[in-house]
Amino acid sequence: MNFTRRELLERGATFGAITLATSLPLSAVAAAWDEAEKKRQPTPFCELGPFYKREAPQTTQLRAPGDSGMPLALAGVVYDVRGDVVPDAKVELWQTDNLGQYDIEGYRYRALLEPGAKGVYSVESVMPGHHPSRVCQHVHYLVTAPGHKPLITQLYFATDPVFDGDPDKNYHRDPLITSPELVRPVMIKSDAKQVVAVVNFDLVMETL
Amino acid sequence: MPCESRYQAPSPNGTQAAVHCKDHSLYLVSIPGGAQREVVPAERRPSAYVFSPDGRWLAAGFPDGTVELMATQDNAPAKHWKADSHRIDGLYFFPNSEMLLVAPVDSRGQVWELAGTPTLRASLPVDFGGLVAYAVSPDGKLLVAAGDDTVVRWYDTATWQKTQEYSGFLLETFALAFTPDGKQVLAGGADSRITALDAATAKQLRQLPTEPGAYIADIQMLGDGQRAATLYLDDAGEKPPHAVIWNLATAHSAALKFDSPPSCAGVVGGKFWSCTTDGKTLTIVEE
Repeated sequence: MNFTRRELLERGATFGAITLATSLPLSAVAAAWDEAEKKRQPTPFCELGPFYKREAPQTTQLRAPGDSGMPLALAGVVYDVRGDVVPDAKVELWQTDNLGQYDIEGYRYRALLEPGAKGVYSVESVMPGHHPSRVCQHVHYLVTAPGHKPLITQLYFATDPVFDGDPDKNYHRDPLITSPELVRPVMIKSDAKQVVAVVNFDLVMETL
Repeated sequence: MPCESRYQAPSPNGTQAAVHCKDHSLYLVSIPGGAQREVVPAERRPSAYVFSPDGRWLAAGFPDGTVELMATQDNAPAKHWKADSHRIDGLYFFPNSEMLLVAPVDSRGQVWELAGTPTLRASLPVDFGGLVAYAVSPDGKLLVAAGDDTVVRWYDTATWQKTQEYSGFLLETFALAFTPDGKQVLAGGADSRITALDAATAKQLRQLPTEPGAYIADIQMLGDGQRAATLYLDDAGEKPPHAVIWNLATAHSAALKFDSPPSCAGVVGGKFWSCTTDGKTLTIVEE
């Protein structure tokens, strides 16, 4: 049986399990509880790196036919710290190819996304390789939205061999990773055509 | 050498070097005598450090956003202050050694006046990230600063108003330098080439040829005012740093040869210095 927040509060108050030391009605307390549970911590900062390039193309398809590397489906939602969707965000992301090299001359594996009213973004890419000067595979993010502090961060993959299967314990092996929250689980999905690594990375922006 | 060290920085008059040890401590070492003293202990892990142009001060920035100013030649007391909540990624002294630009990561740049208790004089905004390159004109009247947002901005140092900007770069700028006559600003970065900008109008004047596969990390003018020493880092992170001297008048370049990868590079007394170390000894070569 599932109870709504309001029902739980009413039952608790009825049986004396909850004493409301407030003059607010139960509905307002329930709404405040909901709000508190929605709250999110801002996504930790992680270096911009030297290979950011302005004016990336608006595309969700970074993987071209014939590209080598494990296909990667990367998606998420842009929230603010109250837990509300940020409807007018712009998400720029860039990464190496699967050999660990950035495209400096052009815009391969670079994209500008506009998630829209639902805040949802997604791209089809490949698992990035290990850049020789970095420890871990990663994807760079720059997220901007009116009224919000620009968010610069990087996504890492729990399957990276560097973590030895335990990113919570070993994330410090890459000195740039400031929080294990940036290391995301990788789900492998397969069908008759291909095997795809699926990663969800929600982004939480601070309000100005 | 007081320790195993990957990076060193010679002082502007060449009488000292800041030696950054592998354990993250920082030492001042006299040149050539080798007398040494620890100025930052290992646990504080400095994230940036720079000598003042007059050689009297060494400024260091830290991951907790603090900055420390240490006397290099006498027992003047150190100055220590909290500049920001973010890690300090860059420090730059103005030519008169009396002001310090502090560049926190992911936060706007700051200009501090150092006389007495350090005082914040200006705040330099960016669209996102922080400042990554900066230079002040020889007469001290103009500051140019490049941000993570790829924009190079001009500031009048009398009013701290932004006067102009150059937004023609798609990639980041990591090095800025004025020519000695103050008429041009040289910019270099991820696009692998020096771009000369007109200091008066912020317009692009010309671009030198690219060094494919490498980005520019530093530009310093040599004493003749005609040549720029340029340090390149490999895009792929596989090759050691290399340095090239560009003649600005002819656009000809000459690669500098090193017996082993340099652990420092800079202009001292108008001449190009590079360092190598075998772990015990610091060897400095003058171009």
